[in-house]
Amino acid sequence: MSDDMVDRTRKLEETTVSNSLHEEEEEEEERPVREKAEYEEEELHKLLVPDVSQLPPTPPSAVETNFVSYFAPDFMKPGNDQYVYRHANGLCVVGLASTHLAFKDKGGITAVDFNVGKSDRSSMKVTGKRKRNAQHFESNTALCKVCTGDDSYVVRCCVKGSLLEVNDRLIKQPELLNSSADREGYIAIIMPKPADWLKVKTSLLSLEEFKILRELC
Amino acid sequence: MSNDTEPAQVSSVAAESHAGDCDAEMQLLEGAVRPLPYHVVKELLSVGVCARCVLRLFGIEEHIYCHSSFSQSMLGSILEEETSFKSEVEFQFCSVCLGVLQFSYCDDGEETVVKKESAKDMALSIAELVKQEGHQIDGFSLEVSVPPLILENESSLLSHMKKKYESEPWFQERLLLSKCHSVKDVLKFAITKPLETLLGVKASASSFRIRLTYTHKRASKKVQNSVERNQECKRRKTGTENALHNVNDESVIADKDCSGYSTIETNSVTGIFSNGVQDQETSEHFESPIEKVSEPCHLVYVCCRTHIYLCGRYLKYSRNVSQTRWIIDEERMGEASVEEIIGSNILPICQGDNYKFHAAGREDIDVRMLGSGRPFLLEIQNARQVPSELIVKEMESKINGLENKLVGVKNLKVVGSQGWALMHEGEAEKQKQYCALVWISRPLEDEDMQTISLLNDMKILQRTPIRVLHRRSPLEREKIIHWMKIERIAGSSQYFLLHLCTQAGTYIKEFVHGDLGRTQPSVGSILGCRAEILQLDVTDVKMDCFVTE
Repeated sequence: MSDDMVDRTRKLEETTVSNSLHEEEEEEEERPVREKAEYEEEELHKLLVPDVSQLPPTPPSAVETNFVSYFAPDFMKPGNDQYVYRHANGLCVVGLASTHLAFKDKGGITAVDFNVGKSDRSSMKVTGKRKRNAQHFESNTALCKVCTGDDSYVVRCCVKGSLLEVNDRLIKQPELLNSSADREGYIAIIMPKPADWLKVKTSLLSLEEFKILRELC
Repeated sequence: MSNDTEPAQVSSVAAESHAGDCDAEMQLLEGAVRPLPYHVVKELLSVGVCARCVLRLFGIEEHIYCHSSFSQSMLGSILEEETSFKSEVEFQFCSVCLGVLQFSYCDDGEETVVKKESAKDMALSIAELVKQEGHQIDGFSLEVSVPPLILENESSLLSHMKKKYESEPWFQERLLLSKCHSVKDVLKFAITKPLETLLGVKASASSFRIRLTYTHKRASKKVQNSVERNQECKRRKTGTENALHNVNDESVIADKDCSGYSTIETNSVTGIFSNGVQDQETSEHFESPIEKVSEPCHLVYVCCRTHIYLCGRYLKYSRNVSQTRWIIDEERMGEASVEEIIGSNILPICQGDNYKFHAAGREDIDVRMLGSGRPFLLEIQNARQVPSELIVKEMESKINGLENKLVGVKNLKVVGSQGWALMHEGEAEKQKQYCALVWISRPLEDEDMQTISLLNDMKILQRTPIRVLHRRSPLEREKIIHWMKIERIAGSSQYFLLHLCTQAGTYIKEFVHGDLGRTQPSVGSILGCRAEILQLDVTDVKMDCFVTE
């Protein structure tokens, strides 16, 4: 890395030297095209390289930046901790919080089945900008069943709204829940109506409140 | 003493020669009228057809009776004298052209009836409007539209004449129906020369349009209800102003443009009335003479320039400037927009009414547009002045010299309507180059740089990103990452610059952080760790258009 810096400074020095030489000999307009292109590249590059001193050691994650996190502790059943990430555009991503009982079982989660209730949630096809064919679910509607070696747990919507998508990757890769339940292991994406969101929001906890409750600080 | 008389002499000489011209014209006219069948001319005059209509129906060359200073009375009296016709009334609106060729109309603004003496007088009011608007022109194109009623009248009259005079020898000779000149052509012919003189430019295929729109309260007799309703709508639109409104400096994109003053589509209607099947019907209707009208047409005349386009490439140096004006709940997002910065600096120089901004693709508000810039088109409506090359260069310098340095412009120039096609040509295929500031959850290894640079034309599958899923269809889109290159950043082991070139339409941010696994593969999945993107810049929009020659 320091080599790079040396290289770059040397390059800069070279161009400054040749620049001043050229200024003595010819005018700006007559500078050869190739040199102009190189000059522009240099200028562009200067804009691209960040000031390292301003960079945080660990930046906020995409989820932290783009969503507001809410939590539903013991949803419908003790130990059933779920999260709801809400995007500024109103969409909600729901999933299992790290404190969910399922993660305490030996071996973690082994299977995920979306065939619950009246239909297989992974089979629905939502189309178009208007999200036609999306099923409207209540907050206690079952989304899927999550199985561990010992037990199985029902995961519910938490938010009343239209089901846009379920994470069907979980069918083939249930281990995603064990490794990253808070990201790639999300369960589903739901679109609530503004009024419905306002209602459910009151029953959810913020990240801070949830941490305190579960003594995670 | 001598000083007083000299000018008088000069002007009288001029008057004499002018009179001399008129005399020559009059003789030509008399000569043209003489061979006409007088009994037919008399009949036409008696049913209220005006002099010019009579002459044009017989196919007489316009230059004979369209001399710009020929007044109504002059023409009328010549015809009447030749054919010894005695008219009962002083003046009445022509039953065919409804006053159009008598340069009479109802002024739209004041609802008063205006009767111009000659074509020259009519041209004068039009020229005044052009001057008032402050247009700088090097030519003009004249457009006229007349109500279908006129064509119906004409058609009725012609079929009646055909029926009545078919057998007569002169009819065979003159082939009446095909030789007659349309009202539009005659009017245009009459006003064009004086307009050229008054405006000092030639009539040509110009972007500057002068439009005369005639409408009549009485919609045509035969047209169905729906077309009538249509007419009324269009009349409402055309009956707004004589001149286009002045631009408000603050205003941006309003929906008004010249085409709002749409001419009445006579084409589709006249189709019905062309020779043939309809003749029977129409001549039956015309047993009695065509109804005389008591009111002339409404006239709205406007002048405007068709859109001019300025093209170029823009750069966006700020991460707080949106491409287009973005307002949510009355609050502006970002501190400015590329569209407004460019538009508001160019519009006043062109003295246009409005502008519309179009670009080849777009970038997020927090993404800078650097390098060669992104092609854009700025459409200026009704520009009073088409900027010269020099002025365009000044515009470019002005924008690039703005204090806040939020936006830059390159290769700005005026372009014709082909600019559209140029810009959108193969848009979906064009590649874009980016530079992303990436962080990964572990230190960067040399191996990683190898891995990344070896991936060429890699296919990825992107589900519609969550951040746009609320307004876009949930789809899985295959995109191509053409190449990637990692550039280490001095002083950091986990931050680096990722240069990449991708297919148009690729969501770069999602390709880096994976969008909860909905974009596969992603930078994170390729490197086997978590990856986050902090900043994104567009460094090249690989399109050939709008570059310096």
